[in-house]
This record gives sequence, structure tokens and C-alpha cells, in this order.
Amino acid sequence: MIRLLFFAVFFLSTTGMAHAQFRLPSLDVNRLVDSAKNLGKATKEINQEEEIAIGRDLAATLVGAAPLVADVRVQRYVNSVGRWIASQSERPDLLWQFGVLDAPQLNAFAVPGGTIFITRGLLERMQSEAELAGVLGHEIVHVVKKHHLKAIQKGAMSALAGDALSIAVQNKNAAANEKLVSFGKEMYSRGLDKGDEYEADRLGIVYAARAGYDPYGLPSVLQTLQSINAQDSAVALMFKTHPAPGDRLDQLGEKMQPTLDAYSSQPNLADRFRAEFKPAK
Amino acid sequence: MRLLILLLFPLLAWAEPATTIRQVEVKKAPAADAETIGQIAENTAVDALERKGGWTRVKSASGDGWVRMLALRFGGPGEAKKGDSGISKLFNVARTGSSGTTVTTGVRGLDPEMLANAQPNPAELAKMEQFAVTPQAAAGFAAKGKLKAHPVEEVK
Repeated sequence: MIRLLFFAVFFLSTTGMAHAQFRLPSLDVNRLVDSAKNLGKATKEINQEEEIAIGRDLAATLVGAAPLVADVRVQRYVNSVGRWIASQSERPDLLWQFGVLDAPQLNAFAVPGGTIFITRGLLERMQSEAELAGVLGHEIVHVVKKHHLKAIQKGAMSALAGDALSIAVQNKNAAANEKLVSFGKEMYSRGLDKGDEYEADRLGIVYAARAGYDPYGLPSVLQTLQSINAQDSAVALMFKTHPAPGDRLDQLGEKMQPTLDAYSSQPNLADRFRAEFKPAK
Repeated sequence: MRLLILLLFPLLAWAEPATTIRQVEVKKAPAADAETIGQIAENTAVDALERKGGWTRVKSASGDGWVRMLALRFGGPGEAKKGDSGISKLFNVARTGSSGTTVTTGVRGLDPEMLANAQPNPAELAKMEQFAVTPQAAAGFAAKGKLKAHPVEEVK
């Protein structure tokens, strides 16, 4: 699974640093930093194949933190809901896949390339398929708008500038790969810009509405989150990486009321949701 | 292992303390054109009983009925519920107890620290492919639920 990162390739090839290890004492650090800045420009044209490769490493890391729930029926159900919503997005042809992580914490993650995770803990707090649709819609927006990919590009500039020397000297694929994984962990524990989250809330609601669901699913989940004590360890990571649920509800109230109301009579499929999660007999 | 939703979180009949963030009309039914039966002032404590679309049924000193759900806020940070939900403990017990085997060795999960220490697990990721659903199958699933796709404009 070790992949040579495209930016490392670019970096090494444009600076000729493949040879640097033979004349290390004369390395010009300023030139390295400049190259890393150029690289920041170049990565704006990350193609879909590269996006999927990056996503594979990040997704493998997230399932390294918590494995998949060993319940095929639940996994298929979440995939069915998610794939249907993704089909209403601006990137319907990605190879979308959805996974329920076996973790009690409440959270969901989007990974570049079309992989989405939701935790068992969050799923268990939901009451309808429309709520699930709202959360998956929110995550799908992160992929469609490439929020994480852009954060990686931005981070690659500074991270590589700082570590250009060691990468150049080691000139190993594994080093570049580790760098991505460690940056990814930092990104998923620090969170995206607030603006990205608000955009994902608004457009996620639009996706749910397009897919035929009651668009109040996402606001309902936000109210559920709001009723949980922020000090509760089950929401520690979620609250650290997202604006407060009350702020998100305020934003939705300001901008989304007409859309929400126009489609609020669409089904929420609470019965189907409950039927899927009946305890085994 | 089935999820234990119904056992652990019977939220459907919940009564949750909430506060109004503005003055709201109280409706007899969960609809904008339903009869208005009262008003609740801004910053009033209410009990939220039930949600339906964009409406929440509340009980309050100034009246019972349906109000706009987005006019309600629930306990903020540090307020309301104190302490930990302890769900992780509950689940570890439930899992080892029901299966009779040692499924979990140590607590894993998605705390910030656990994420920081996570090692990539490509084999686990590869399992996901078997769960993926084709667009056609997803459309069939939607049709079964009487979901109809239609254009809705993005709101910037």
C-alpha cells in the first residue's frame, strides 16, 4: 500500500534532489522552500486518480483507529442510503463507499475520493433514515467540494517546506507516505475551516432534499448533539473539529429555512430505519 | 452483532429541556397554516416532546403545542447533563457478554488520542468493497422507500 506521493514525486523531480544525497553539505535550503511553494501551485491540479490514492491511505488510517462493524446488513443499508444521495451530487460517478465504524463515539468522516465513515455511536442516536441522509449528505459535500483535499494541498506547502531536507535526503516512498498519514491524522483531529462545515451543512440539506428525504434530518441530528454535554468523551473529537451545534443551527435558520420548509413533507422513513436496526432475535 | 439502538436509546418518547431563542407562535398542528393557539416569549424554558419535520411539540408554562424546531436550543456546553454518557463502557460489556468470545482487546475508538496512535489497516479497508452498492441498486432501494429525486438549487 505504500505509494509515492505525487507531491513528493513532483518535488523530487523538479528540484533534482534525487542526487542531493551525494552533495548534502551544499544543499540550498531556500531553494528547497521555493520548490515546495511551487509544489503548492502544482498540486491544484490533483487528478482524480491521485485523489483516490490519497484517500486510500487516509481511509486505511481511519479504519486503523476503529474497525468496521461486523454486520453486513447494517453496512449495506448505510451504503444504499449513501449511494442514493451521492447520485444526486455533482460527482455521481465516483466509486462511493460507506462504512460504519465500530466506535462508541459520535462522529462521521469524509475521505477524498468518495469514502465516507459514520460511527456506530452516531448511528445509534438517530431516529430516522432522513437523519442518516442528512449526515451522509454533509459528508458527501466534503468530498464533492474537495474540502480535505484542499486542506492537504495547503498543508503540503508548509509541511514539505519544513521537512524538505529530510525527504530529499531519505528519498524514500515510505517517508512521503508516512508524511501524508501523519498529516491526515492531524487534519482529522484538528478539523476543517468552519466555512467548509457550514457549506457542508447547507449543501448536505440540499442533497437530502434532492434525494427525496425530509431535509430536517440534519438539523434534527444537530439538536440531538446539542443536548449532549460537550464534556462527554463520546463527542470530544466531534466537538473539537466542528462549530458548536447551536451555531450550525443558527446558520441553517438564517439561510436554509425556505429550502427546509419547501420539502419538509417528504418522507423521513423512520419506520424503515428502525426495522433495519432491530436487535437480533 | 446487531446494533442495540432500541434497547439503549428509546428516544422517541423523549422529553428534553430546551429554550426558545426568539418569540414563537404555538400551533395546534405541525404546519405553518395550522391554527395559532398561543405565543411563547424569547428565552423561555420548555420541554420538547416530539419532532415532526420542522416542528417540535413542546410543553411550557405559556402553553402546549407545536413550534418551529429551529427556534429551540438544547443544553449548551457545560449546562444540562453532567458527566459522561458511559456508552463506551456499556457497549464493551454488551459485546463481550452477547458473543461469549473475547471480541475486544482493550478499548479502541475515535478519541483524539486514539486517532493519533492509529496505524493504517489496509486489510480492513479492503472489506468495505463487499458492502458497496451500485447506483442502480441504490435507485431501487430509494424507489422501495417511495423516495423521488428532483432538482433543488444549492444555497450559497
